[in-house]
Amino acid sequence: MPIELPAKESVYPGHLACPGCGAVIAMRFVLKGLGEKVIMAIPACCWSIIAGPFPFTALKVPILHTAFETGGAVASGIRAALDVKGDEETQVVTWAGDGGTFDIGLQALSGAAERNENILYICYDNEAYMNTGVQSSGATPLGSWTTTTPSNMPKQTRKKDIMQIMAAHRIPYAATASIAYPEDLVRKIQKAAGIKGTRFIHIYAPCPTGWKVPSEISVRLARLVVQTRIFPLYEVEDGIRYNITEDTVGYLIDEYYKSQGRFKHLKREQLDQIQDQVDQQWQRLKSLSKL
Amino acid sequence: MKKVIEGSHAVSHAVALAKVKVISAYPITPQTHIVEMLAELVASGELDARYIRVESEHSAMAAVIGSASAGVRSFTASSSHGLALMHEMLHWTAGARLPIVMAEVNRALGAPWNIWADQTDSLAQRDTGWLQFYCEDVQEVLDSIILAYRLAEQISLPVMVVFDAFFLSHTYEQVDVPEQAQVDSFLPPWQPADFLDPLNPRAFNQMASPEFYMEFRYKIQQAMEQALEIYPQIDAEFNAMFGRSYPLVELCPAIAGETAPLALVTSGSMTGTARVTQRELRAQGILFDLIKVRSFRPFPTQQIRDLLGNYSKVAVIDRNISLGSGGIFANEIAGALSSMEQRPTVYPFVAGLGGRDVTQTSITEMIQRALGSTPPEDILWSGLKA
Amino acid sequence: MSPLNFKGAADMPAFSRSADTMEWNHTGNWRFLRPRYLDKDAPCSEACPAAEDIPLIELLAARGDIAGAWQRIREENPFPAICGRVCFHPCEKACNRGEYDDPVGINSLERHIADSARRQKLTPLQPKVAETGQRVAVIGAGPGGLTAAWQLRRLGHSVELFDARQEPGGMLRYAIPTYRLPTDVLNWEIGLILEQGVRFHPGRVLGGNLGWDELSQFSAVFIATGAWTPNPLGISGEQLADDGLKFLEEVREGRTPQVSGPVAVIGGGNTAMDVARTLLRLGAEPTIYYRRRLEDLPALAEEVKEVSEEGIAICPLLSPHQISGTAGDLQLSLLPMQVLDDPDESSGRARVGTADKPAELRQVTTVYAAIGFNDSPGLPVGTTEPLGTWLRRLKTDEAPETTILLGGDLVNTNRTVITAIASGKAAAIAIDAALKKQIISEQLNAAQIGGKGAISLNRLQGGDRSERQRHVVGFAELNTIYFRYAGRTERPGLTLKERQTSFDEVQMRISTAMAMAEAERCFRCGLCDQCDNCYLFCPDMSVIREKDGEGRHINFDYCKGCGVCVVECPRNAMLLEEEPR
Repeated sequence: MPIELPAKESVYPGHLACPGCGAVIAMRFVLKGLGEKVIMAIPACCWSIIAGPFPFTALKVPILHTAFETGGAVASGIRAALDVKGDEETQVVTWAGDGGTFDIGLQALSGAAERNENILYICYDNEAYMNTGVQSSGATPLGSWTTTTPSNMPKQTRKKDIMQIMAAHRIPYAATASIAYPEDLVRKIQKAAGIKGTRFIHIYAPCPTGWKVPSEISVRLARLVVQTRIFPLYEVEDGIRYNITEDTVGYLIDEYYKSQGRFKHLKREQLDQIQDQVDQQWQRLKSLSKL
Repeated sequence: MKKVIEGSHAVSHAVALAKVKVISAYPITPQTHIVEMLAELVASGELDARYIRVESEHSAMAAVIGSASAGVRSFTASSSHGLALMHEMLHWTAGARLPIVMAEVNRALGAPWNIWADQTDSLAQRDTGWLQFYCEDVQEVLDSIILAYRLAEQISLPVMVVFDAFFLSHTYEQVDVPEQAQVDSFLPPWQPADFLDPLNPRAFNQMASPEFYMEFRYKIQQAMEQALEIYPQIDAEFNAMFGRSYPLVELCPAIAGETAPLALVTSGSMTGTARVTQRELRAQGILFDLIKVRSFRPFPTQQIRDLLGNYSKVAVIDRNISLGSGGIFANEIAGALSSMEQRPTVYPFVAGLGGRDVTQTSITEMIQRALGSTPPEDILWSGLKA
Repeated sequence: MSPLNFKGAADMPAFSRSADTMEWNHTGNWRFLRPRYLDKDAPCSEACPAAEDIPLIELLAARGDIAGAWQRIREENPFPAICGRVCFHPCEKACNRGEYDDPVGINSLERHIADSARRQKLTPLQPKVAETGQRVAVIGAGPGGLTAAWQLRRLGHSVELFDARQEPGGMLRYAIPTYRLPTDVLNWEIGLILEQGVRFHPGRVLGGNLGWDELSQFSAVFIATGAWTPNPLGISGEQLADDGLKFLEEVREGRTPQVSGPVAVIGGGNTAMDVARTLLRLGAEPTIYYRRRLEDLPALAEEVKEVSEEGIAICPLLSPHQISGTAGDLQLSLLPMQVLDDPDESSGRARVGTADKPAELRQVTTVYAAIGFNDSPGLPVGTTEPLGTWLRRLKTDEAPETTILLGGDLVNTNRTVITAIASGKAAAIAIDAALKKQIISEQLNAAQIGGKGAISLNRLQGGDRSERQRHVVGFAELNTIYFRYAGRTERPGLTLKERQTSFDEVQMRISTAMAMAEAERCFRCGLCDQCDNCYLFCPDMSVIREKDGEGRHINFDYCKGCGVCVVECPRNAMLLEEEPR
């Protein structure tokens, strides 16, 4: 069946993203879901560059470029300004990378979520500091090579579970999404747009450059990561009601891991360990979704 | 209307009179009374604004950057460590040309912990592109907030209204709180040319290459210079409406129309003490002219030259220190005078760090040292228990 | 690079603020790979001897464009209503969807499309071709001859169609029972051909009242007189057996013989099945005897299934040995067979030999033989040589200057309706080539789809689908994630009781809704169906939809050559190539 998405296009060509950039595909889908009544705050991330230098822009919505750790706070301020102006229609969106969300921006995001600011916070996750040259972040998965976790000492710890962190804030809506599932993504964006309070969407957005993969498999990886249950698609309402939106067959993780240069040093036993973690994580999610 | 109010509350009243729409702040002693009262005013509806109680000063500044970028008059207040945490965003505010006004209560920085008056916190932010006005008393604090918005919105730069911890923030003084109608007339609603607007979508603050960055910095510098030019007119207008004037640099001669052998340069609340000391020493025949520097940024270089160039000796009291160098006002003043052929000898006193009182006695002692045979040094410590 | 230039600070805004879009930045110059829209061949089209453009046909059907789908079929095959009923549909066996869930019901859809076209009284679109003035004789009005006539007319040649029988149709009319192929359907599709100006001459027998003095007047002759002569059983009492094909012919002509009681049918092909089912409907009790295993039956699987459903026993591994007795009271002796170790490599069927068991005896009223048929008599003396997959070329002194081609069951080892149709089309192409003084084999090669002999006129004539890459898309080359699992639509049929007493068509038509759903199941291997995945997933907004919504092109000003569009194309209708430098 053909994929049905809103026709509106809010990203201009000519932007500075690498070929096959998942973050641009994510932006396209998000803006298709939101339309043009949007103000977007972009803390430091790949999109700070992608959107183009002075005096240009690559988006049809206003952007406030801002410092790395300010995503939650700047959006709170914009929202407050719109509220005092009586503009309830415009969506205030923070568009942040994984570093700006999991790491340096976590405090401001937590503050905004605790205040239940009426903002839509979107984290496009490419699992490392890509803009600065592929350094490890709190979103980098176990076993991954990055320039600060070299392959003879790859990342020793698991990816931070940002969704659990956000759910623990009891925000009205949190969801994961992948660029390989555009209808699911847009549906979640539109659902989020209809909810007041802090909404958090965690979008999986592959980075061919940083992951050492050919650009053409960008979307394919975003699909595999869901099919392997490494990155399940689900939503959490009010921090307690879990709903798995894409119940997948659960392929073995091997194809996903083996097709990426950043994992090529991993040995069988390490893959087995990761598979165990993925299985446990999925079981946990399944049990949460039955509550 | 005359009221006896605390220095912190003078700020709160001024913010309300300025019809600020978004306030964001994080508590830090000695700034808390300012924002507590503002929270109450917002909660009671007396002030039609949103109060964002952020989780840090960094976020406080980020939040008002957001609200001001959306075209709404915004305010924050901080001090010391809070201001230091904001540092990155202070640069961002000025670079984004946002006319945010901040009340900054001068407090010492740790370690060790110290909550008392010291100007090093604000002076450490001198390169961020913010205007800085140092206040002498509670009335000046209140008036400066209103003046600050008027100036900030005219030149599109942020302004810090700076005053000493406790000496002003927690001190009650009789203050003339202006009428709202008058303030409205002096300070019309802010109507920015550029603000975040889905109907006119533009990107703000995107990367500027080496081709452009320097020009953007030049334009900020131009705006600072413009502030020096237009402030006197704004101050005159304020004076006409409210009967009070706050020049960027104020000369207070020991004897009107005459030049004393020594000029004493002060800033902040110690100026009041210096005024009393000037009167008392004049009675003893010891004359010094008092120079109050209100504007540290923009630094009124030409006025400093004009006012200080004729003295043979200039004593500067700094309640701050640039460690490894010396008193910051003194350095800047010496710098301003350095291009003059005939220039006074500068006596750079460092006094009152971390809330230690700068008393009439200590000022008298400094005056006597400057007038006496003490040779000038890089730092002349006052009251130091060496 | 930048279209906005500032002379200095005075021209610039107070702060970094956009005044224009990034569209000036033509990122196409980053590209070292280049995506291309390139349709490819589908395995179903390759497997269909008539090379029907099945992905496109199903796409049109799924969109409800019955007329479009029907015209598309007729471009390659003038008998969709007939093939939709009797074709053994090799397309479905090749269907990539078979590796996913079930093959698409291509055959049901073909019938649906044709039946709907008939109900809508559609008429075939004929290409505007100038009459060439060349006269071609087609001998044999079966599916092969009729197809040749149809395509030759479409190529502008004038056609005279000769047949020994009174009505056109050949095996379609005289061998396939009406419960499989109703006469009105047959007449309609043949009529559509004859209406194109094909002159039909009934009762003309090659080698009889149709001679070479007459035929040598034609520019070319296509002979497709079929295979009607029964193979001999080669057993004692053979003369007591009746010819199954003749039996079917008599029933179709209304000269129904009296049959009753137990009847033996010898054979395992479609004729044997048709004989048995016809006997059942006439009130007899038929049993089919076949010398190999059930899985070796050459008859269409569907028909075998229907035979079993109707209660007719098929007894495998029994080979006729002797017939004795008198007409109406016969003893049939059958030898039990056993499977030999090595299977027949050419057919895949089991090799059998007699088992060491006693012969079995059956008391029957009639024995019908249907173990295969041989060429018809009447061919001129001469030499033949193969010409492509579907034809032989005949050289005879009777008409040394005339292009004479043999086709249909005369040539095909796999004698089916669709192979006859392919043969007829090949004949039309070959004759057209010969008349234009082209090299016939080159033209036949140029028309090929895939490597199984399927030939397409659209491809040959440079039609809108002729730009397809000559590459058959395999299952592994599809991005099947974009397809949902969905079972195949089965055709409804008459009840068993109705089937045992009636010659009404057993298989009924599927509804339009069912047909559209089934057509939607088609993967459309190698065919862009405007699904828009390329457009949706493009990170560079470089896939441009044509104004009417049909067709896409790449904006190479911006395309960075990432290749996501090519990988995300569900049906392999794109290609990633090196950027030419």
